Amino acid sequence: MDKELELMIGGPQGSGLDTTGQILTSSLAYIGYGVISDREYYSNITGKHSYIHMKVSPARVPYDLSYPVKLLTAIDAETLFHHYNDIDEKGFIALDERGLDTNLEKIVTIEGFTKQMIMDDLKNRVGSTILRDLVQYLEDDLKINTIILNYKEILDKLVDKYGVAASLASRYMSSIPMGVISGLMDIDAEAIEYGVRRRFHGRERIIEHNVFLITTIAEDIKSVYGSPLKLPKPTLDMKEIMVVSGNDIVAMGKVVGGLRFQSYYPITPAADESFFIEANQNLGDDKGGVVVFQTEDELAAIAAAIGGALTGVRTATATSGPGFSLMVEALGWAGNSEVPLVITYYQRGGPATGLPTRGGQSDLLFTMFASHGEFPRVVLASGDHEEAFEDSIIAFNLAEKYQLPVIHLLDKYLANSIATIRVPDIDQFTIDRGIIYNGNGDYVRFDTSKTISPRAFLGDDVIMWHTGNEHNEEGHNTEDPILRERMYRKRMEKLELIIKETPKKYMYRYYGPENPEVILLGWGFVKHVSISAIKHLEKEGYKAGYLHLKMFMPFPEEDIVNILNKVDRNNIIAVENNIMLQAAKATSLFTGIRIDRGIKKYTGRPIYLHELLEALRDLLNNRNKKEVVLTYGS
Amino acid sequence: MVVDIKALRTEVWVDWCPGCGNFGILNATQRAIAELNLEPNKTVVVSGIGCSGKTSHFINVNGVHTLHGRAIPFATGIKIANPELTVIVHGGDGDLLGIGAGHFIALGRRNLDITVVMHNNGVYGLTKGQASPTLFRGLKTKALPQPNIQDAVNPIALAIASGYTFVARTYSLNIKHYVETLKMAINHKGTAFIDVLQPCVVYNDIYTKDFFKERMYILEKNGWDPVVEPGTPTETIEEKIKKAIEKSLEWGDKIPIGVFYHNKAVPEFGERLNTQIPNYTELPPAKQKIARDDGKPIITNSDFRRLFSRYIVTRR
Repeated sequence: MDKELELMIGGPQGSGLDTTGQILTSSLAYIGYGVISDREYYSNITGKHSYIHMKVSPARVPYDLSYPVKLLTAIDAETLFHHYNDIDEKGFIALDERGLDTNLEKIVTIEGFTKQMIMDDLKNRVGSTILRDLVQYLEDDLKINTIILNYKEILDKLVDKYGVAASLASRYMSSIPMGVISGLMDIDAEAIEYGVRRRFHGRERIIEHNVFLITTIAEDIKSVYGSPLKLPKPTLDMKEIMVVSGNDIVAMGKVVGGLRFQSYYPITPAADESFFIEANQNLGDDKGGVVVFQTEDELAAIAAAIGGALTGVRTATATSGPGFSLMVEALGWAGNSEVPLVITYYQRGGPATGLPTRGGQSDLLFTMFASHGEFPRVVLASGDHEEAFEDSIIAFNLAEKYQLPVIHLLDKYLANSIATIRVPDIDQFTIDRGIIYNGNGDYVRFDTSKTISPRAFLGDDVIMWHTGNEHNEEGHNTEDPILRERMYRKRMEKLELIIKETPKKYMYRYYGPENPEVILLGWGFVKHVSISAIKHLEKEGYKAGYLHLKMFMPFPEEDIVNILNKVDRNNIIAVENNIMLQAAKATSLFTGIRIDRGIKKYTGRPIYLHELLEALRDLLNNRNKKEVVLTYGS
Repeated sequence: MVVDIKALRTEVWVDWCPGCGNFGILNATQRAIAELNLEPNKTVVVSGIGCSGKTSHFINVNGVHTLHGRAIPFATGIKIANPELTVIVHGGDGDLLGIGAGHFIALGRRNLDITVVMHNNGVYGLTKGQASPTLFRGLKTKALPQPNIQDAVNPIALAIASGYTFVARTYSLNIKHYVETLKMAINHKGTAFIDVLQPCVVYNDIYTKDFFKERMYILEKNGWDPVVEPGTPTETIEEKIKKAIEKSLEWGDKIPIGVFYHNKAVPEFGERLNTQIPNYTELPPAKQKIARDDGKPIITNSDFRRLFSRYIVTRR
């Protein structure tokens, strides 16, 4: 993993960072590199600081982000004030000359507390809050190479060559970081053009302008600095590479999995998924299309999805914490009335509105127990883009096979990061619709002779009733104690069936040596940073494994007990983006194994490898220490 | 198939209070379904919570007894997923205009082809007589500890303002009028709303049978013309809307029942979906195959590459 590169691109929201990230990722994938690109941004459309943090690897699909980075390209002056601690010694920063006299004190887009923290640090270490002095300090003390460019002069080249109106030239700002990176990494003109074409397909003038600008900058950079960040030739064994965000890949998985009706209410970071499906909703003349229905609120979103499911359609909704909070009552209705339904749940920082555009894993216990009363549900969490695709299909199979709601848990880190993954082989998936009424004989919807009653759909040749009340076999309300017990048990028995019948890889995965001394326990997007961490620990002499939990409801108790029993209780360390160590709590609840050592991060930023390793060494060396709280990242 | 009205009754005992206006509503709904020859398996009654919520269990067609306030979005999902179904919503005034008011308004924006029947008795019956959103301020019905201090919503005006294209009022004990109104509503291609006035014999001692009997008159008998045909000029439509809203304010000595507004010129939601999905009508969600005969997804590897080619980079 040594020959990998981490870099950052920073600037105000609305300055085209996304575009830079997309072009760069496509160009790198085209050459054959593996990329992960995380986007961190404020809940704001224009003006506040956002950045892309990317890792590029010639040999693997990376997911684990770490600091320091080798290169920072900044669109504005503010960026360096946020990230001057993130850059490696002898690393590179690229800046606009025109911003050098910026005084941090005068920047209005940084909120007060953040600004004060940075000012205190700068006064202490640099003795000034002027960007020019900070740059000097970085050059002198940290031997960082600074590349000072005049962005306006660069953009003027477009005005001169193509007659682009000066007022429009700033729209090409996103080409500047791309040009700098291309120069330092030696990304050739063909790859650059490929990336630009994919981003702006068909808009020839824009393509020409961008390619001109990027290649010109790249050549200038190379002539002065060479290409010190050039990576070895890629060795990834993929001919075709998918370049997708978590939202994209989940949407694709749902469509392949048979989704034909999605209802949603706009919310970050889930709404992009619904937009993606709508943009790709026509599946072909003989196949039909996916209805994407924007409702008036999340109460309606889940209710409409339930209604659609009663007609035999694979339906889903996609939401985040605040939206799911509103869906909770209807979730219970679906559980009670045995409705197959998928809720794709992108966690963000809570509670309440919390950190709307930041990540978190603080909703696990909520999804496991949301809604009053007891009813069966599946809670399934994905740890990376490939898992997310697979789980999006499996979620529908579980929902229909067991006739219950499935909550597919993801997080913002996964939703908004772009990864380069293998194109999935659709033929390895099966659509399992479960037991369906065969059309013979009298039909009752809630036949109690089996745990799973055959399902008929509204519109079939039979009629049926559904209700949120306790009900008899026909689906009419009942308060009879015997019937109540029978129906209640029939519903809950499904949980045991799921554990018995579901392949283990959908419930948990274990990485590492067969007989570990230390087990990291995690879920969701902490997967790969944890896997990388155990590899590092191995080099340091620890036999460490990573237990990746995927299914929390029902919980694969026996298997998890067997794995955790391999190590001393004190050597189980939970790694989670929440303060309660919720996955560890859930594990304790079902297995009786108490896990109270953990590494926690709830700042809304992902867990980075360097801080995780540091925390792990700390816990491994201090056996009485219970926890480490991580806070790295701006 | 001719539907026999007796076959539209279920074996569930109808547990409303003796004299309840709901009996009229139930009876008339069954009669309308029979007279329209709606196939029970292609018909869905979707109900909310409260006394009116039980309606779906008493009619021998598909029934979905949903959550308080959510009958409309449940029904919406059913209808969009399978547009060949006839979907009728039964909700109370509290259900549709209180806890579910947002959905009531949103439905009007869509003109989805479903019929909403509102049981309007001014009170929350099943929780023992609290004021509903249609009870006027200052009134003190039997169970209220104090006179109502909240104003009443005007359901007819709200429906028209929300975009409902068939808006009517009827009376639960005028079976003939109810049946005809409901039949028109079901036949209307778009969202229909019927405000059904009804007595609550236990908790509303103001809106009684006698109260309604003395005041009610049928709009159409006075030369009222609520219909907007396709091609009608915008000014004429606006004129009809204004008149209908004005008419909806009439309450007191005289209470009009009948069709207030009936616009046939607004595209139904399915037509709108057709503009996005050209084969929605032939292949709505419920009619699509999602798996091949061997159980593999209907989306093949080559479909996947065709649909999502923009996201696949072929290495050079």
